[in-house]
Parts: sequence; structure tokens; C-alpha cells
Amino acid sequence: MSQSVSLPVAAVSRQPGRTMSDRMAAWLFLAPATIIFMIVLVYPMIYSIYLSLFDWDGVSPVKTWVGLGNYEELFSSNRVFWIALKNNIFWGVLSLFVPTGIGLALAVLLNQKFAGSAFFRSVFYFPAILSMSIVGLIWGWMYHPTLGLINQTLDFVGLEGLKQNWLSDPRISLTAVFVAATWHNVGLPMLLFLAGLQTVPKETLEAARIDGASRWQSFWHVTMPQLRETTMVVVAITAINSLKVYDIIYVMTYGGPANRTQVLGTWMYFLTYNANRVGMGTAIAVILFCLTLIFAIPYTRHMVRK
Amino acid sequence: MTAVSDFSDAETHGRKGIGQIAFYIGLSLFAALWALPLLILIFTALKSANDFAESGTFAMPRSLEWANFARAWEIGLKTYFFNSTLITLVKVPVGVLICSMAAFALTKMRLRGADTIFAIFVLGLIVPMQMTLVPLTILYQHLGLIDRIPGLFFLYLGFGLPLGILVMRGFIRTIPDELIEAAFVDGASWWSIFWRVVVPLSRPAWVSLLILDGISTWNEFILAQIFIRTQANRTVPLGVVNFSTEYSTAYELLAAGQVMSIAPLVLLYLFFQRYFVHGMAGAVK
Repeated sequence: MSQSVSLPVAAVSRQPGRTMSDRMAAWLFLAPATIIFMIVLVYPMIYSIYLSLFDWDGVSPVKTWVGLGNYEELFSSNRVFWIALKNNIFWGVLSLFVPTGIGLALAVLLNQKFAGSAFFRSVFYFPAILSMSIVGLIWGWMYHPTLGLINQTLDFVGLEGLKQNWLSDPRISLTAVFVAATWHNVGLPMLLFLAGLQTVPKETLEAARIDGASRWQSFWHVTMPQLRETTMVVVAITAINSLKVYDIIYVMTYGGPANRTQVLGTWMYFLTYNANRVGMGTAIAVILFCLTLIFAIPYTRHMVRK
Repeated sequence: MTAVSDFSDAETHGRKGIGQIAFYIGLSLFAALWALPLLILIFTALKSANDFAESGTFAMPRSLEWANFARAWEIGLKTYFFNSTLITLVKVPVGVLICSMAAFALTKMRLRGADTIFAIFVLGLIVPMQMTLVPLTILYQHLGLIDRIPGLFFLYLGFGLPLGILVMRGFIRTIPDELIEAAFVDGASWWSIFWRVVVPLSRPAWVSLLILDGISTWNEFILAQIFIRTQANRTVPLGVVNFSTEYSTAYELLAAGQVMSIAPLVLLYLFFQRYFVHGMAGAVK
């Protein structure tokens, strides 16, 4: 019965989405997502920006207004903040080349149809579906000074001299963690490049080959231009994820030795939850967010346009 | 790729056969190296404590100690598995439904400003968790949701929205408008159009998203770490990390625990492999 009432309206307008009740309906469909999004993301973000302007220990009822004081202190006298920022940059630049490069190389190799190519794809992709925290534990193990696979292998092949305290030597600990993260981070770019390679026309490659182009030339001049869009997506995701890195450092080094492997994500955590410097911790979060925004805006525009 | 033709060449001129063998050997070695951390983990999980101490990391297990798994399970994994399974099984379908409804409204209901609303949701994808932790902690303290699984569930719902809406919108957009208009002219309400036209047609996107979201829910660490305080409420990643500090010298137990924590992912991957490629690639492009 009730449906027959709305029928004439629909029949007259013939196009959905024009009446008041249609607009209402659209908002009802959006309501659950919008309300949850507001509570879990929008409101906390605004509140964080506000909190970053105060000196506050997180417990006392009194918050002291310091304006941009937290930011000034971070940039002028918080030594670990600079270490963390440099580590994030180090991590980001390496991430743009190492896991992305390996992912691209594997994608090009495994895009060929040969017996077992699907199996190899699975082997290289699999670590990507593991939790970063578990990856950290597994590799923490590999790096164990006496029982770990790496030092035992060096012993076994007679290269004792190369043995290291991989995670407690400040000169190499961040790199060691980065290697562990690479194991996890190769899968996604590989998958995306594999999808991108599907769009490279076989005829063009064939034509290039007949014209006498070497493999390297046809890769560089035919394949790569076709992968431009994929590359852009991979670069954006890699940059954003590098800034967000947290779990694997927390699990493998806990920011140590002597804060040498802190990144912005972990330093925010330690300042806020261990040192009770909540205002300063949220200030780091805001800085982190602004940095991600630089890479995110072009990426989001690309997403919306598609 | 170029090499497709190389392989057909290899059949005609046997000369390239050697190159092909070298290619296989090289790739297999690299793959073996790549799988090594997992293989060693499984080896360790299967050794007895004495075996491990005497023969080192490398050696094959002397006898298979399945009891390690049973002990790790009893010590705590049982609880973590229960919690993670509960959260994942409830959160993921609810989340996908909410995202699907939102994506429908953003694509097929001619809502003014739909693209802007969508852009705001997608921006949520890049927000570092740290940006929300303190206010959420304060809010949860007021609501008494600290250390409670429903509290964690609600946060996961929120942080799952951006990717979910992105994937769903991408798919629902491809449903022809004519189908929806036809149902509309037949007198169907929006709600019944959603259930009878949109949901059945977007099944592939549902499957992809259930898997993607299932994995990220199962793996989530930072929110669980901040909001869960007691052992009884820990999820798998948090539980296994804590477990590793509590039993830091019982290597065989730790390894057994880690192997078990990734086992559901292995199974999921084996059964739904093809959806990974579609889901992942569709999601971020």
C-alpha cells in the first residue's frame, strides 16, 4: 500500500534524487558512516589541534595555555624530535627506492606467464598480509645476537667478523628495522605494478622488439610511461605509510638504543603516554598530520576524479 | 612483457634454454631467501627447548614438538584468538554494510556535494592514528569504554570507513543507472533498491572488502595497544607482542604463538588468493 502512494511522484519526476524525501533518504543512508566518522576521526582531530596549544599532563584539571609554545620547544630544544624527524625522512626516502624498486622488478619478472609464476607471486606477496607487529617479532628473532639466524649464518660460513648487535648498535639499528619492514612492504607495490602492467599493450612491446629495441629500452620507453599512474599511486602510498610508521619500531627497538630509532609516531606515543607531556605529544601528531597532508592532497584529488 | 616472446623463442632456438634455467634458479633462490624468516619460525616452533639450545637455529627439528602449540594456546593465545575472532566477525560485516550504504548514497542518489563528502572520507585514510589518540582516550574514559572490546569495535568501525567507502564507491559506480531507475519506476523504495539491486550486484566488492577489512582488523595493533589494558581483553597482535616479553626466553613457545597468530591469514590467503589482487588493486587505484 505505502509503495503505491510514492509511485506517482516517481513516475512524474522519472529521475531519482530530485524530491525532498529523496534527499532525506540519501542522508539516512549516509548517516551511520557520517556519525561514526565524526566521533572517531573529525572531532578527535580538532580536539588534538586544540590540545596542542596547552601544556598539560593529561591528568590535572588545569591546562596551561602556551599558544605555539609546544611547537617552538619541539623545533628549538627537543633533540629527540629532530632525531625522529630525520629518521622519518631517512625511512621515507629509502622506502621510495628499496621496497618500491624490488616490487617493480618482481612485478616485471612475474608478469610473464611461466610455470610457477603464481606460486612465486604468493611467496613474495605473503609477508604483506602479516601484521607489522608480528613482522617485528619474527625479525627481532632473526637479529638475535647469539641465537638469531643472521649471526648464526655468519658464524657458519666463517664470517664471524661481520656479526653485529643488529638492534642495539645505534649505527645500524634503524637500517636493520628497515630491512624487516621491506620484507613486509614489497608486496603491495608488486601487486599494484602487476595490475598496472596489464594495461601495457602487447602489440606495442612487440613492435618495439621488431624495431630492434633492447629489453631495457622497451622497458624504459614503452612499459614505464604506461606505469606512470601506478607509480604515482605507489609513491603517494609509500610516502604516507613512511610517515605513519610505528608498530615495527615499537616492537623491535622500542625507540632505542638511546632514542636513536625514534620516529614521529613513536615519539608522540612516548611523550604522551610515558612522559605525560600530552600537549607536546599532540603537537607532534599535528606536525605528522600536516606532513602527510602534503602527499595526500594530490592523491585524494586523483582518487575523487577517477 | 617482452620475455613472453623470449620464452617462445626459447622453444624454437634451444640456445635460450640455459638462460631460462638460470632465470628459474635465480628466482627460486630469491624466493627461498624471502621465505626463510617464516620457515625458521616454523622450525623453531616445532623444536623442543633442549633441541633448540643444543643444535641452534639452523638445524632441522630432531622431533616434532606439537605440544609447543598446545602450551602456547593454553598460556594465552586461546583468549586472544577468541577476542580477535569476535571483533573481526562482528566488525567486518557491519562495517562493510555501513560503507556500502554510504557509497550508494554518494553515487546513485544524486546528492549535492557528494564528491566533496567523498573526498573528506578519503582523507581519513591518511590521518595518523596519533592525531586521534588523546581525545579518544579522554572520551573513552568518560564513557567507561577503556579496556572494553565494544569500545575497540567502535574505533575499528570508524577507522575502516575511508577504505571501505573508497572500494564500495568504485564498484557501485559501475552499476548502470538504468537498473536503479527501472526499479524506482516500478515503485521500489530506496531501501529495497539497495537490498535487491545494489547489494546483489556488488557481491565481488563485498567479498574483496570483507577480506581486506578482515585482515586489517585482525592485524590492528596501535589502537588495541592504547585502549586495551588487561590480559583478558587482548587481541592477537597485542597479545602475541606482550607474550613475547613475558616469556622472552621460551623461544619455542614464542615461535609457536607467532605461527598460530598468522595461521588464519595463511588459510584466508590460500582460499581467497584471487580476491586479493582485485581487491587491493581496485582499492587504491
